[in-house]
Amino acid sequence: MTTDADTDPIFRPLAFRNLTVPNRIFRSNISGRFDNEDGSLTQTRINWECRFARGGVGAIISSYVPVRMDGRIIAGYATIHRDDFIPAWARLGEAVHANGAKFIMQLSHSGRQMDIPGVHNMHRPAPSPTSAPETLHGFLTQAMSTGEVRRMVRDFARAAWRAREAGLDGVELHAANGYLFTQFLSSAINDRTDAYGGSLRNRARFLLEVIAAIRDTVGRDFHLQVKLSATDHNNVLPWEGRGNTVADTVQVARWCETMGADALHISTGSLFPHPLNPPGDLPLDVLAITYDAMISSGVNGFRNYLLFRYPTLRPIFRWLWFRMKKGRPVEGVGFDEARIIREAVGIPVISTGGWQDAGAVREALGHVDGVSIARSLVANPDLPRHWAEGRDLPPEPCTYCNKCLVGAPKLPMGCHELSRFPSREAMIDRLMEVYDTKPELRIPEAS
Amino acid sequence: MSFPTAVEAQLERRRRKWRPVLWLLALAGVAGLFLAVLLLIRVLQSGTPYHEGEEAHFRHGSIGAEPASGIPYKVWMALPELYPAAFEPEGDYRAFGFLYDEGSDLPIGISRRTVAGVDLVWFNCGVCHTGTVRETPQAEPRTISGMPAHQLDLHGFTRFVLDAAVDPRMAPDPLRAAMRDSGHGLGPVEGLIWKVAVFPRLREGMIDRAARLGPLFERQPPWGPGRVDTFNPYKVLAFGEDARALSEDEVVGAADFPSIFLQGPREGMQLHWDGNNPSLAERNLSAALGAGVTPETADHAAIERMARWLEDLPPPESPHRPNPAAVDRGRSIYMEGCADCHGYQGEEGYVFEGDRLGTVEPLGSVGTDPARLKSYTEAFREAQLRELFAGTPYAFRHFVKTDGYANAPLDGLWLRAPYLHNGSVPTLQDLLLPPEQRPVTFRRGGDVIDPKGGFVSETCSAGSGCFDTRLPGNSNAGHLWGTGLGEAQKSDLLSYLLTF
Repeated sequence: MTTDADTDPIFRPLAFRNLTVPNRIFRSNISGRFDNEDGSLTQTRINWECRFARGGVGAIISSYVPVRMDGRIIAGYATIHRDDFIPAWARLGEAVHANGAKFIMQLSHSGRQMDIPGVHNMHRPAPSPTSAPETLHGFLTQAMSTGEVRRMVRDFARAAWRAREAGLDGVELHAANGYLFTQFLSSAINDRTDAYGGSLRNRARFLLEVIAAIRDTVGRDFHLQVKLSATDHNNVLPWEGRGNTVADTVQVARWCETMGADALHISTGSLFPHPLNPPGDLPLDVLAITYDAMISSGVNGFRNYLLFRYPTLRPIFRWLWFRMKKGRPVEGVGFDEARIIREAVGIPVISTGGWQDAGAVREALGHVDGVSIARSLVANPDLPRHWAEGRDLPPEPCTYCNKCLVGAPKLPMGCHELSRFPSREAMIDRLMEVYDTKPELRIPEAS
Repeated sequence: MSFPTAVEAQLERRRRKWRPVLWLLALAGVAGLFLAVLLLIRVLQSGTPYHEGEEAHFRHGSIGAEPASGIPYKVWMALPELYPAAFEPEGDYRAFGFLYDEGSDLPIGISRRTVAGVDLVWFNCGVCHTGTVRETPQAEPRTISGMPAHQLDLHGFTRFVLDAAVDPRMAPDPLRAAMRDSGHGLGPVEGLIWKVAVFPRLREGMIDRAARLGPLFERQPPWGPGRVDTFNPYKVLAFGEDARALSEDEVVGAADFPSIFLQGPREGMQLHWDGNNPSLAERNLSAALGAGVTPETADHAAIERMARWLEDLPPPESPHRPNPAAVDRGRSIYMEGCADCHGYQGEEGYVFEGDRLGTVEPLGSVGTDPARLKSYTEAFREAQLRELFAGTPYAFRHFVKTDGYANAPLDGLWLRAPYLHNGSVPTLQDLLLPPEQRPVTFRRGGDVIDPKGGFVSETCSAGSGCFDTRLPGNSNAGHLWGTGLGEAQKSDLLSYLLTF
């Protein structure tokens, strides 16, 4: 059985002001450590993105792409901080287009949320609106001066220009999930006393200036969307402030629309990962074998590692993490907030958070314009085809175990839920598929 | 110094910032550890003072009664403050007939032992076997180790302790105030230890003892000064018997404290009033149990040290100076009618010779009050052999159930009044009277020497120490030997007996 593309809301094209996406399914930003230390991308990343394009998504929102080297969350993710990277990104765009999908580059800066700083950043604190260390891992920060903020605005605009030069279909500002924009926006994190701190308007100033700068640089006809966390829920550690509310974010969303954003992508949480994003389990036993890669990244790393490493201590972290999930669904965890924001703005809104069931997605599309999906597509890159063929769920759906998430600092990106595979070998074969490259090896020129 | 990462540099800055605090904490930890060790040493401290002199050891050395039966020294010292009426008129333990050595804050027979950091006091052998004599009412009392503690009202003292167990004044707050007022207050740390460990256990122990002994005391006449029921309290305290279940025959068993001079020559004789054991060692341990020692807490070395000293401890010479001719005549009478059972006083001291000396005289023959004999039952003997010191070299093996009272040597006779095993006859002269002529009541506890042999004791009708021979266990019947002599012969015999 197949569904009628004309009547199925999932498969109706979504027309933004400057971009039309063939259906309502967006591959949300997710990545592995596929790329080179200098930030240049690899064939593996092209393979990775094409896997989802082939699967039938309407658009791919790239993995987190830093606009500067001091904004990497994990060394090994491709960046867009150099003009000479434009051709490689252009190849990636071509590859995705060849498989029928659009490609939107997510422009990002880690700010204080720098999980693995790498050789470029290990010697310095991360630029951030605050000098207060990040609270969960103890990542170090250095408050940016006003001049540095302005330089950061310029760097985002320049990165957007590079994306356009590469022929990509648009850019998304990653202003959600605890990265640099969130750090400015959040009342629980931003402790500045200059024009970029204090009131909501001031805290939003950096984001709005970036939107304005991008428009100045790339013009009015290049797709620009903004990913926002509807609610901060910043009090994962109970003594922390709660941060921004959905009412705050509605206001920020309206400002974004006014400044020229073409769409909004709504998530939740002022850090990543967060108990509500991505929703589902948090496998502490897997963290016990992967978090060691992050011990030296923050001053609280070893403390956290002990909490994961020793089963008798795990209930402490389990309590911290899981108390926020009570009473909340996994699928569509942020849908209600996305709907509230959609009702407040005139531009399309994409909702993310655990989407996997076609029925739930169809129902959601009555209120929002698109859904973005990461883990369910990692588990089943051809999920759109299952939906198109009339199945609400694929035969082996994502279990929301989040092993792919906690494996990111140390393990290859992909599904690590053994129960979904006939054997361990099959799982590893699947993980290795993206590395199946045929590189055109080049002999360096003799000096 | 450079660090490879900003995090390492920050951690080093943090270490440097906190280093003084860590040092302080470390020092505080060491100091805390030191204090904890001191506290531990204090808490776990155990031991008892060593007394150089043998007599000092007899009067003040611990035999191991304190851990199981004792009360804290500070409580002992505070009780007169807490119950002034009970300690009148002296305001100390002399109110119950305890004796004091010059300069000592604890009575004779009260020893001290530190158990888990708390100083405890309780009885040793000296409490029941040290007494006083005076040649005239005006004379200073002379304290003599080894003689019966004829002045000690052990029943009255025990009754007082049992009553205190349920008295509101024994609650921690009033008791603490009395301890402070008596100059034996608690320091802060000590106060904490007492609050947690000492006060609750003290009260519980006293209540438990009261619950066991109370029903027994209800079934007995007061023992009176110089007397103790050896075995019945033992049954309810050590063997957990219910006093209400004891038979009428056995429930009254008070008898006099004996003298304990010259124990060496007594080895092998039937010891105890009823002659139930020929082993000095077992008799000594049994007596120690009566003083509050348990098989677990007995200080065998201390007990044996006392026993060695007592082997050769002679009674002081009799102060009586009867007519020598009468003494000679009396000796002849004695040698003919008494020496076979009791031995005799020779020129060089007491002679422990006599065919029947140290053997048991059947009750039918001696005719004295049977209560003490009946209080030692076959069932009790079996429990002694089965449970006390079982599996150790100290296990009891020689106890027997007899049918009478032992023929005892009479050394130090002048100090041993009142006479007969139950102290029912005030003087030797009275003892030579037929029972019906012996005093029916008399006041015990006096220490002024009576020329009639014994201590001056007037007849009485009531009041402290008034001994009524008509009460159960108090009969002055029996031991008719000598009662049939003529007056002159009795006078001569008395003259000789006064030299013992």
